[in-house]
Amino acid sequence: MTDEVKTQKPLIQYLSKNQVEMIHEGSLDLLEKTGIEVDHEAGLKVLAEAGAKVDFQEKRVRIPPSLVVRCLETVPDRFTLAARNPERDCPLVPGGTPFSRNGGGADFTIDLHTGEFRPMLSADVSSYFKLMDALDGISFIAPVFGHDMPVIGRDILMLREAFANTDKPIHLRAFSGETLKYMFEMAVIVAGSKEALKERPIVSLLEAPISPLKFLDVTVDALWLCGEYGIPLDVCVMPIAGGTGPMTMAGNVQLLNTEFLAGVVISQLAHPGAPLQYAPRPMAMDMRTGFSLAGSVELGMMAAAGAQMAHFYNVPVSLHGPWSDSMTHDGQSTFERMYMTIMAALAGANVLVGAGMMQQSLVISHEQLIIDDEINRTAFRAVQGFEIDEERLGANVISKVGPGGNFVAEEHTLKYLRGERYVPSLLYRGSREAWEASGSKTFVARAKDRALSILEEHQPNPLPEDISKELDKHVAKVLQLLEK
Amino acid sequence: MSEIMINLKEDLYDGKVDEVAAATQQALDEGISAGEILNQGLIAGMDVVGVDFKSGELFIPEVILCARAMHAGLEVLRPLLIETGIASLGKVVIGTVAGDMHDIGKNLVSMMLEGAGFEIIDLGTDVQPEQFVEIVRAEGADLVGMSALLTTTMLSMKSTIDALSEAGLRDSVRILVGGAPVTANFAEQIGADAYAADAGAAVDTARSLIEVQQT
Repeated sequence: MTDEVKTQKPLIQYLSKNQVEMIHEGSLDLLEKTGIEVDHEAGLKVLAEAGAKVDFQEKRVRIPPSLVVRCLETVPDRFTLAARNPERDCPLVPGGTPFSRNGGGADFTIDLHTGEFRPMLSADVSSYFKLMDALDGISFIAPVFGHDMPVIGRDILMLREAFANTDKPIHLRAFSGETLKYMFEMAVIVAGSKEALKERPIVSLLEAPISPLKFLDVTVDALWLCGEYGIPLDVCVMPIAGGTGPMTMAGNVQLLNTEFLAGVVISQLAHPGAPLQYAPRPMAMDMRTGFSLAGSVELGMMAAAGAQMAHFYNVPVSLHGPWSDSMTHDGQSTFERMYMTIMAALAGANVLVGAGMMQQSLVISHEQLIIDDEINRTAFRAVQGFEIDEERLGANVISKVGPGGNFVAEEHTLKYLRGERYVPSLLYRGSREAWEASGSKTFVARAKDRALSILEEHQPNPLPEDISKELDKHVAKVLQLLEK
Repeated sequence: MSEIMINLKEDLYDGKVDEVAAATQQALDEGISAGEILNQGLIAGMDVVGVDFKSGELFIPEVILCARAMHAGLEVLRPLLIETGIASLGKVVIGTVAGDMHDIGKNLVSMMLEGAGFEIIDLGTDVQPEQFVEIVRAEGADLVGMSALLTTTMLSMKSTIDALSEAGLRDSVRILVGGAPVTANFAEQIGADAYAADAGAAVDTARSLIEVQQT
């Protein structure tokens, strides 16, 4: 027996090897015969030069399989979401340790003090960033927006706020191609130089084609700009089953895989080797209301199939983790989030996305973020597996204790007392008496307490003063440019 | 505080059995009195352990190990302590009540009480009321601890208390009950003196019951 052996990495697999290949072949076929729409003049030219059949009038591009396969070859199999503080780097490796980020873009909140549903304000944004900086179950951070910030330049100001409140990697949200470029310039200031940013990209981005099969000009711009700056990009493919994707789960996976491959071609033709992450985010339309569902179990199943495709292409994969349709941080929210997250983690996701967010990605709450920190860490633990070796199997101690004894104070117990088990921060595991004595607080009430106490104690690692000043100067300049 | 006493407390906290025994002997050799070593060293050291256990920093097995280290020190002091009249905290007869075979909770409480300085007589599981009566009488126990895991067996606690009363022993012992289905309210209904929700609480409750009894 070897000295120390990990258990197998647990992996949910819905697709057989044959089915993975069917989907791959199906995508190549669709790209060749049906093609995609690319609303980008230069993009059409590059694709035509590389051998795609391009109808410039219809903006329709039909891509031969050989070109897709060639472009897949240059996609890196791993990259690191770098952090201002290198200890907080997130290396994304197929089959590697999972990381997580919050759901970005929301601009409503449930007030931490009063419980009232209301527009988010910049003070909420600051405290939310600060909380995310403190939580181990949130590996990197996506901006959320305050209604009291100016509409033009809001994305720029949010990035400025994020840099001030965290030294974790930051996942950008840009309102336009123009502001995205300004944001990359801000990242250059913090990283030190364009080369340093390329070496250690402290920001990353998500771009989504429009399902089905359509790439807007901003999407192509973003793919190329990321390539130019070496910024990691999630190719986020999110057809809505029954709406913008086929009703069938298989059809939705077929479509999103096709869109991912199209994204790979557009990116790699311009910048071979640009770091891409496969982000299958299948949604489903509620066929009674038309709403797009975030928390149905089939989404977890389709996403797991998407992860298998990512593993087939040997690229990192980002899935929805804590995700829910609920209106607030209640039982439904916890219920949906828990299975979504565990399924995604066990499907081999490199990144679990969604912490803090609910109601069609519009609303966040501090309590939900605290709960999701716990859910993420629980999922991280489940993925870790455990060690099996002769000593851990414990035949000696079992034999020593014998029938009817106990293991409480055995040396073996003391040796492995710490490390075998994840110790949650939020779950109550004591007696009813002690629970009543401390105010009979529910799960959500305890999450609120934890949020308040972290906000009181936590001090984010500030930006160096010179960088901070330079950043402010740049932001002021950019805001002036945008106003014109 | 002298260096040796500081070392003694640190070794105790780390659960180092042999080191605590050696440090206790060394303290005696340096002329520190047995009473001072007991109170300022061993008991004060265990108080720190107790605080960190309650805050969640230390786990039960670690507390038990600390207790073992304390006992190693006590063994060194014992001949001297008997001379000066300092004995154990009290004698506890403990068992899982009639009809109930579950013992891990009861064992935890036993080990924790022993660690805190009580003398333990563990009667095991499925202990009939008359067994409790017999041993309490024979040993002159200060405290009876009863455990039950099932709602169907916890009623044996009442028959045991009734049996102790009939035997005329009820007033000479304090009775402490616990176990998953047991509540403070139930403890009061059946005429027990106290209820403890977990092993840590059992130690505190046992201590205060004995103090009340002794005053």
